Amino acid sequence: MYKFKPATERIIKMHQLIRDRVIQTDAERALITTESYKRNEHVLPMIKRPRAIYDVCANMTVRVEDFEIIVGNRAKNFCGSGVEPEWEGEGWIPSMIENGIWTIQADGLYHNPEGEELKLAISPEDVEALVSIRDYWKDRTITTTANAWQPEGYDELCKLEVCANASGAPLMMMTAGHLTPGFQKIINIGYGAIRKEALDFMDAHRNNLMGEDLNKYMFYNAASIVCDAAIIMIQRYSEACLEKAKACQDESRRDELLKMADGLLWISKNPARNFWEACQAAIMYQLFLALESKYPACSFGRFDQYTWPFLKADLEAERLTMDEAQEIVDAFFLKSNCFYGAAPEFVAQITGIGNTYQHTTVGGVDPETGEDATNPVTYMALETIGRLKLHDPTISLRVNKNTPDKLWECALETSKLVGGLPLFQNDEIIIPGLMEELGFSLVDARNYALIGCQEITGSGNDYSACNGIAPPYASIHYGVVLNMVINNGVNAFNGQECSVKKGYLYEMKSFEEVKEAFKAVARYITKAQVSINNYTEYLTTQYAPLAGLSISMEGCMESGKDATWGGCKYNSYGGTATGLATVADSLTTIKYMVFDKKLCTARELYDAVMANWEGFEDLRQQILHEVPHYGNADPYADEQMKWVCDSYYDICSECYSTRTRHFKAGLYSASDHVFQGYHTWATPDGRKTGEALADATSPAQGRDINGPTAVCTSACCYDQSKFMDGLALNIRIHPSALSRDDGVEKLRDMTKTYLNNGGMEIQYNVVSTETMRAAQADPQSYRDLVVRIAGYSAYFVELNADCQNDIIRRTENTL
Amino acid sequence: MKESDLTGKVYDIQGFSVQDGPGIRTTVFLKGCPLRCPWCHSPESQSFAAQLSWMAMRCIGVEKCGKCLTACTKGAITSGEITKSIGIGEAIKLIHVNRLLCDDCGDCARACHPGGLSMCGADYQVDDLLKQLCRDIPFYEQSGGGVTVSGGEALSQPEFTLKLLQGLKAQGVHTALDTTGFSDYKNIDAVLPYVDLFLYDLKHMDSEQHKKAIGVPNERILENAQKIAAAGGKLQIRIPVIPSFNDSEKNIKSTGKFCKSLGKAVTLVQILPYHNMGVAKYLRICDDPKVLEAEPPSEEKIQNLKKILECFALKVTVH
Ligand code: SF4
Ligand code: SF4
Repeated sequence: MYKFKPATERIIKMHQLIRDRVIQTDAERALITTESYKRNEHVLPMIKRPRAIYDVCANMTVRVEDFEIIVGNRAKNFCGSGVEPEWEGEGWIPSMIENGIWTIQADGLYHNPEGEELKLAISPEDVEALVSIRDYWKDRTITTTANAWQPEGYDELCKLEVCANASGAPLMMMTAGHLTPGFQKIINIGYGAIRKEALDFMDAHRNNLMGEDLNKYMFYNAASIVCDAAIIMIQRYSEACLEKAKACQDESRRDELLKMADGLLWISKNPARNFWEACQAAIMYQLFLALESKYPACSFGRFDQYTWPFLKADLEAERLTMDEAQEIVDAFFLKSNCFYGAAPEFVAQITGIGNTYQHTTVGGVDPETGEDATNPVTYMALETIGRLKLHDPTISLRVNKNTPDKLWECALETSKLVGGLPLFQNDEIIIPGLMEELGFSLVDARNYALIGCQEITGSGNDYSACNGIAPPYASIHYGVVLNMVINNGVNAFNGQECSVKKGYLYEMKSFEEVKEAFKAVARYITKAQVSINNYTEYLTTQYAPLAGLSISMEGCMESGKDATWGGCKYNSYGGTATGLATVADSLTTIKYMVFDKKLCTARELYDAVMANWEGFEDLRQQILHEVPHYGNADPYADEQMKWVCDSYYDICSECYSTRTRHFKAGLYSASDHVFQGYHTWATPDGRKTGEALADATSPAQGRDINGPTAVCTSACCYDQSKFMDGLALNIRIHPSALSRDDGVEKLRDMTKTYLNNGGMEIQYNVVSTETMRAAQADPQSYRDLVVRIAGYSAYFVELNADCQNDIIRRTENTL
Repeated sequence: MKESDLTGKVYDIQGFSVQDGPGIRTTVFLKGCPLRCPWCHSPESQSFAAQLSWMAMRCIGVEKCGKCLTACTKGAITSGEITKSIGIGEAIKLIHVNRLLCDDCGDCARACHPGGLSMCGADYQVDDLLKQLCRDIPFYEQSGGGVTVSGGEALSQPEFTLKLLQGLKAQGVHTALDTTGFSDYKNIDAVLPYVDLFLYDLKHMDSEQHKKAIGVPNERILENAQKIAAAGGKLQIRIPVIPSFNDSEKNIKSTGKFCKSLGKAVTLVQILPYHNMGVAKYLRICDDPKVLEAEPPSEEKIQNLKKILECFALKVTVH
């Protein structure tokens, strides 16, 4: 059995500080950016934005805590948060204070209301500072521009509330990372060389900008500024370590700080020389990207693969011990936990509180040879997650037919400790899938990584924009689509009408007609949403190019093209439909009850759904208990799930933008299935208005009654390898399943069978209902309890009660 | 009767069963048992006939439903008290089943959609059951698992069990038979070629005690075990440890000695400590369960018994 070792004292201390954090927002970044924008008022965004990030990097506070061996802070305070005024002006907090929602406490800071899951604060001076920039930004944010004009039809989409676009809500709030930056390039080449490449082009083309060269010149200009920005930021951290060393009494810590100062100075321009520098360089780049653009959700990619050569050399030269390396890995993941931006309660709940989306991928095969590439860092990453019970960042373990048993064991022991982590990703499905669907080369496909919740991407070469180019996201609320299908285009929840009307359920003559109606409405809505996405893509190229990201992405420096302009080697974007099993079970219900068995008329079923089942409880119970449901290895029900997924794929294949032909279909839902459920009218499968929709590709809550092997069998009812935007299958396992050593082996064998049969991804929640009930009653004692909902995990007690109940309700696979 | 028409009474099928033999298994539970162990944790397995089962937490109440009231022509169902349902979290009016008037005809269960009332025990044709069990073959193959036929006492439905086991072996599925051993040896002899592993209960080595508690002596059980061993069958011995019945060191010693005497046939001895989770199940099928209620044995006690068994060079696990 794999055993986790205890962490060092300073790691434990840092972990506690993060767990008990109060995220304090400050105005520093906002003020620096505002000043910079004022100075560059009329300069093009392509140059203005890099200049602003330079000013931020050159002037913001840099911190080195006493207990830190990996440094980097996103704002003035430890675990603090800044404001990105170019997107949100003064931000959302000042109005909270003006409206009396946040109140001043004994510590002299304003705090968000007691009882909200995340603890947030701000000082009165920072509020004042933020308010002072309000007028300047009123008409100058990117969001304002996006809101000022939209293509026709946007209004209809918003009113319907069938996707994240909503009336009154911003059309575009930020750019999405949803990709893996080229950490390898930053680590192995360094900013100095990249900067030189840019400057060389600029020198060579001075006063000679013909044709495409002009665009390139603009890009290289931006690239050179962001390199300068990164360099000065890292050098300032070096200086801060030096300062700290001077004042340090403890000799060994002083030496450590001096070494850190030296390493930082070196990596500010040069390739990393050792394991620590590689890890610190990755953190610095992540931090830099977070400062460059509001919340890019960039993932770390194949951390074990790009850091192992350094550790190997360190070990061979006896510069580092395994225990020291493990402490660096601990510090690395703890540091990435400090980058959470303060978000309003509802945003935090939808996206997962405390989830920074810095998805990290370990395991998998070597891109050149295709051999399994498990290495000691693979284990170290899992060791950190397991021993610190970290739910963030999300870890994916890539598995293939040669994944060592020991790694399987270590991973499943991690699942026991940290519900839902790691996510198991199947190389055997994803590698050929990327080649087939997106035209990846074999080598690049073998080098894939995971991002965000569980979307698939290349490593530092793919502008993958999974779930759309810019939030709000490209998720279609399939439960609402279904309601409009049976209700002549009207969303019963809000009375709004869709311009595609297919009549009422009771007017449809056959089941085929119902399905055709569904596909027509789903196509219209999906294309409408993607059209808006294409519009935000246009806005992004004009107003929010990402030079800081582009310098590391394969293809951009080579072609002189920003990533948002299509400079990367691979380009795609994608989205997801949510409530898949709810829709599939509803279709099965219509087929079974109305057309096949004729147990009720279409009119009765329609009336029952429209009455939210009031007065139709018996019919509802009959549907719940007699109609076959997806997730029970029953082909009658699985057939509809296959149809729902396949038809979504077909619709996505009809969508594209100027940058890319590939709009990828994904089947995941984060925890959005709960929130969409609030706004989704009752569905024919017996679900009531307001109840959660089915999560990702998992069976509807509580409808799978034949155990996890049946769920796994059902989940392979459609060809998963087409869904290259990623998919998620969550299975909850009662801890008693794993209480004996061979329990873990059996779970491994179940996973292997699922993956061999065409499964692409699976994750386990090993938690007991009792524990969760106890945690609901006494959240303080269970702050460590981590669960995973559809592709990312969160602290259980930090979820709202409905999310908690949703997790509890999922069928328990007891033994 | 055509062979394919042969049916058996099944009361449960459990997928991803990981405590009943090697690997990932599906366990099929057959109804009916000749023994009456007071500690039985699956009392619904005892009777050979289908029985009406009442699960209050699934009932949605007579106000919203009440279909069973009219479905029952024997007058066995009346509306009961208002109770807060743990299933739906509201106070609702539940029903009451008069077991004296009920003849387990199942009319009410057929009318009850939510499953408050259901029939425990359904007739399965061998072929249908095989189809369902074989669905998980990829999982069995990956994990070295298979199907466990359990009960009740599966050998009390000898023909069905034989056909089922034959069918499984024909598909190359690993088979285990969970048995009390209380059966005519000819039934065991018939299934022996199709059973890869017997999960074999030994409750008490003293026949008097055995008879007193369970109603039958143990000679036949012990003899059958010896015959299986002699015929080359593999045995995984299971000892339910029941407080103040069979948990004395003396009894466990003689059990160990007996296991040892069976030689290589015994692959493993499993200690199954008594637990009282059967009580809830009794209440589903009768009003006044005659069930042993005792404190589960301490961990220390179990470890001690494990040590004793290990003295006989046996491989022992605790479940
Ligand atoms: S039919 Fe079932 S749900 Fe309805 S009242 Fe009777 S037991 Fe309850
Ligand atoms: S099983 Fe038959 S007799 Fe018994 S309560 Fe139901 S309907 Fe009445």
